[in-house]
Amino acid sequence: MSHQPNPAPLSIQPSRPAREIIRRSTRELLIPVPPITPAVTNEEVFRLFEDQDQLISLPVVEDGRPIGLINRHIFMESLARPFHREIYLRKSCIAFMDKRPLLIDEDTSIEELSFRVLADGSKVLADGFVVVRDGFYRGLGLAQDMLAALAHLQAEKNRLVMESIDYGSIIQRSLSRAAREGMREHLPDHFLIWEPRDVVSGDFYHFQHFGDGFLLVLFDCTGHGVPGAFMTLIMSAFLRGALDAERCRDPGALIGEINRKVKIAMGQFDEQTDPNAESHSDDGMDAAFCWFEPATRRLVYAGAHMPLMLALPGADEIVTLDGDRHGVGYATTALEQTWQNHEMTLPPDSSVYLFTDGVFDQLGGDKRIAFGKRRVRACLTEHRERPMPEQRQALLAALSAYQGDEPRKDDVSAIGLRV
Amino acid sequence: MENLHIPATKETPEVRLDPGSMSFHLVGESYPENAMAFYAPIRASLQSFLEAPDSARGVQAHFNLRYFNSSSTKLIRALVGMLHQKAAAGVRVIAHWYHDPEDDMMAEFGLDLKEEFDALEFNLVASETA
Repeated sequence: MSHQPNPAPLSIQPSRPAREIIRRSTRELLIPVPPITPAVTNEEVFRLFEDQDQLISLPVVEDGRPIGLINRHIFMESLARPFHREIYLRKSCIAFMDKRPLLIDEDTSIEELSFRVLADGSKVLADGFVVVRDGFYRGLGLAQDMLAALAHLQAEKNRLVMESIDYGSIIQRSLSRAAREGMREHLPDHFLIWEPRDVVSGDFYHFQHFGDGFLLVLFDCTGHGVPGAFMTLIMSAFLRGALDAERCRDPGALIGEINRKVKIAMGQFDEQTDPNAESHSDDGMDAAFCWFEPATRRLVYAGAHMPLMLALPGADEIVTLDGDRHGVGYATTALEQTWQNHEMTLPPDSSVYLFTDGVFDQLGGDKRIAFGKRRVRACLTEHRERPMPEQRQALLAALSAYQGDEPRKDDVSAIGLRV
Repeated sequence: MENLHIPATKETPEVRLDPGSMSFHLVGESYPENAMAFYAPIRASLQSFLEAPDSARGVQAHFNLRYFNSSSTKLIRALVGMLHQKAAAGVRVIAHWYHDPEDDMMAEFGLDLKEEFDALEFNLVASETA
């Protein structure tokens, strides 16, 4: 066996990956530290450590296979004990080596490596690990490099996910652009609040003008974030598919039609009552549908678990119309479920408000309880005479003050219009 | 039938099923990302709890919730629905729905459940939040 303490200077400093380099396997962390053999004496090891103060660990290899790892500090301390120099200096370096270093195949992913390092405990954090290929020594790896690689990998993954969601948000916003333009054109005094909790939203809205009137819809799909946003696209597509110049006048029937389409398309049937049901999802929406004809001042509202609030001139109280209890599309909502139309004639200068439950259910206040409809009504009562954009600001300010340090729990949306 | 106790987490409520007192407790907040995954085993446990012979003596259910998201709403409603079925089969099932006196949303939801599941003895309990 050759006697080969390696004289080549070696850098075992953590190799800091450049920002743009994403390391994915253990191979990329490898530092080719020249190993020593068991024939090397402790005296030679001592000299190696003294000459190369960057050297943290020294791998010991026999016939190409790693048999141990000598940690600088443990080695130096051991040698410093009484009589140890005399006893061990000329003996084989295996005396003070760790005979069970962590061996990692070079093809191991950074993620798996991190779990193995964690499982192995604190020793590896100090000494590093031995990188092998088919059991043969390749080099050393440092926990510090692994952490850096892991952090970059994590940042990269986050960046990809966020870029993807950001782009999703562009798509979602484009889909509502026509509705926003329609509202600006046909509703001289209105506001829109559409605040996704996480970039994209499970809340959505639709506005469409048909000859003598317009249909305004606010809906709140199950969930938020990406799954919620998926649902808004599905619901939006079904709404547009069902909507024509006749159906827009009958919001209740329109909700019923969307309910049927969603349930069939997504196979959402109640497993309790339908033996053929094989639904893996149970998603749907709460919604408020309003048809208004300015000439006759006729308002038709149908609600699926989403109320409508009215500030009527001359009336002190804000009127709340609760919609029907059933949500749209859910497995437990019947295929032939109907929604009731509420019809009324609005006096001029009436205000109509729609809210998703993200507004009502937001926790906050001293007691950490829901914002609730009562506080919403109080805010509307106070500011109802002001232009809608100012009411918007007042509502958001009240909600934000109530919410305090509490995190936003859900998407928050609201629409107000004076007709 | 054994005791079931799932401690509360930040996003999920505490769940207790006690066959000794034939009581069911759901306490805390509920907004897991995947509510179906959290509630499926609870539904299964409540089902076997309600099928146990002892359940004929009567069942008490306590719902003390501060917040739940819309997907949890569906599943909590389903749990109340299971209790309702038991009550409809002739067993005395008492449901207690706790809400802060100022929490109109929680009170309203309880009232909704009370109307929908009329076979239950349904107590709306306004109690100060600790």
